[in-house]
Amino acid sequence: MPRLSTDRLLRAGRAPDDRPLAVYAKDAGAFVLTGVDQRASALGLKRAMSLADARAIYPSLNALEAAPDEDARTLDAIAAWCERFTPVVVIDAPDGLFLDIAGCAHLFGGEAALRDQIVARLAAHGFTARAALAPTPGAAWALARYESGKRNAGGIARALSPLPVEALRLDEEAASLLRRLGLKTIGQLYDAPRSAFTARAGERAMLRLDQALGRAAEALTPRRPAPPVFALKRFLEPVFTTDHMLEATRDLCADALVDVERRGGGVRHAVLHLFGVDGRDRLIEVGVSRPERSAAALVRLFREKLAQAAENLNAEFGIEAARLDITLLQRIDATPRDLVAGGGAHASAADVAAMIDLVSARLGAKRVLRAKLNAVHAPERAGAWRAALSNADAKTPQLAIAPAEVQRRPLTLFARPQPIEAMATVPDGPPIRFRWRRVLREVARAEGPERISGDWMRAECARDYYRIEDTQGRRYWVYREGFYGEDAAPRWFVHGLFA
Amino acid sequence: MAAKPLHEIGPAAPSAQSTAIGFALALAAGWCGPAGIIWAGEENVFSEEGAPYAPGLAQFGLDPERLIVVRAAKGEEALWAAEQGLALAGAVVVCVLSNHGRALTLKATRRLLLIAERHRSRCLLVRSLNEASAAWTRWRVQSAPSQAEARELGPPAFDVELVRNRAGPAGARFIVEWNADEHSLSERVAGDYLAAAVDRSLAPRRARA
Repeated sequence: MPRLSTDRLLRAGRAPDDRPLAVYAKDAGAFVLTGVDQRASALGLKRAMSLADARAIYPSLNALEAAPDEDARTLDAIAAWCERFTPVVVIDAPDGLFLDIAGCAHLFGGEAALRDQIVARLAAHGFTARAALAPTPGAAWALARYESGKRNAGGIARALSPLPVEALRLDEEAASLLRRLGLKTIGQLYDAPRSAFTARAGERAMLRLDQALGRAAEALTPRRPAPPVFALKRFLEPVFTTDHMLEATRDLCADALVDVERRGGGVRHAVLHLFGVDGRDRLIEVGVSRPERSAAALVRLFREKLAQAAENLNAEFGIEAARLDITLLQRIDATPRDLVAGGGAHASAADVAAMIDLVSARLGAKRVLRAKLNAVHAPERAGAWRAALSNADAKTPQLAIAPAEVQRRPLTLFARPQPIEAMATVPDGPPIRFRWRRVLREVARAEGPERISGDWMRAECARDYYRIEDTQGRRYWVYREGFYGEDAAPRWFVHGLFA
Repeated sequence: MAAKPLHEIGPAAPSAQSTAIGFALALAAGWCGPAGIIWAGEENVFSEEGAPYAPGLAQFGLDPERLIVVRAAKGEEALWAAEQGLALAGAVVVCVLSNHGRALTLKATRRLLLIAERHRSRCLLVRSLNEASAAWTRWRVQSAPSQAEARELGPPAFDVELVRNRAGPAGARFIVEWNADEHSLSERVAGDYLAAAVDRSLAPRRARA
């Protein structure tokens, strides 16, 4: 997108008059143009020209300071929009994108049709784009920027041959080295003796050449990690109702599960993208606690989520495409899942997992929990909860401190210990009465103290815990923080309740 | 109680809510099978009475590996989660609803009963409102002071009263103690603690729970 920065400003209405627009930035003490719009370009203004020279050519030029951060955000938004064409979109800052369209083009009438559609739709949104199709990212980069737009059928080597060496994505050092050697076009590099390029800059140039020609591999980092399996669907007419979306989801699940099965795995996590006509991408995620191979089970989870999300979809302009990414696959072990057979008197572990998936899908994974016991003395951290969905196969660790060693623990624990007013007869003894929740309670029985030393890393005090029973038989887990006779008076808290 | 799928447990006073939950968990621990226990509660009860505490639950006799806790934001969601749990054959669901929760209508309790009957699962409803319900029994629960010697705390003890019983007369009142090792609730025998201990070791007398 050669005019990304000016297109962004024009689109945002930041250059309301029809004067030519240019964007400048400070470079080595001078103001240099970093972007020009079409009218400025027609006047002969170019990137890298100094602002003073530009003003000399056209005094009433509308020059605005560059905002690279905003340009980057705009590029990211365009990349997100492009994910409706393929899940693999790579941001090539400052103004380019790579789209890996393998396996997607057929949905758009072929590769050339897909390319033209992307360019036309970006133009409709106000962005000038040049696009090229090539077997390698390097060749596509070169053709999109340096080729005049004619169609090439002779393979990449021939297509790249007339282009200047700068089309190889070279840094300044490598480009100047080639210029000094008199090598101006890529074609001249094909026959140049490689032994001449011993310098680091020369090696870089050769690597770029090999990457463009597909002789060397090039790893690009997509905006989102490429899903191992995905399925894409385009609607001929935008759809508005969740029923239609669910129907599409059913097709996508069926498609994706064929691939999943071929890989001999099961789905653990999947994301449904609903691409709106408004340019927004709506994400619906589901997690499964055990590898799932049934499309119907996935559809059930998505139905639950879609019903939940129906109000927040804001799909009044319609959804034009949907994609299902299987983001996490897991092998399915051939061994039987559980000793307890399903369908009998007791639900099998698989049934329990299915229940966890369903409830997590509707209420949220953070609300369906399993215990996680930790081998620490600090009561708050000894017992934690984890999403049951997260790793249902993991064995719950046994209580690392044997139950006999720890004194009795309460059934429930307050997230924050609740302060109480307590009176004790002996300085280091249990309270004889205390006020909690505005009710004065007389202590009938008490056991303790159990001293739990604080974590010095967290600057915690030692605590003396007591199990106490009031005259009504209610039982509390209380503690004293600090000791009598110290500078600050000790404080008392209720930390938990026994049955 | 074990023969019927739906029971209600209510605290005798608002301050006895944690005791009522404890009694429900004791019953659930005694019935727990391979399908495990699903404790579905409303978030505001958890913040009021404290969140389930795994080490304490383990000592109480609930296997942490067989426990799933659902912290629902609303009563309707807790109820829905309870229904999903009851669809697991042999599961025990403890559903704790807040005082203000009006989610649990007579119709909703009928649904719970039907689902539990169909899947041979069991449900213990903890709610303070005593309203029309399809539950087989309703118990009013408060804590019972310990009887141990000196100032020690005895085993968890519950003062329970059968206030409604679809299958027979109501009104009976028991003091029951929970034995976490044996997973049993036994009626506390009158008399002093030593004599009670001797009595129990000779002839353990089980409460109808």
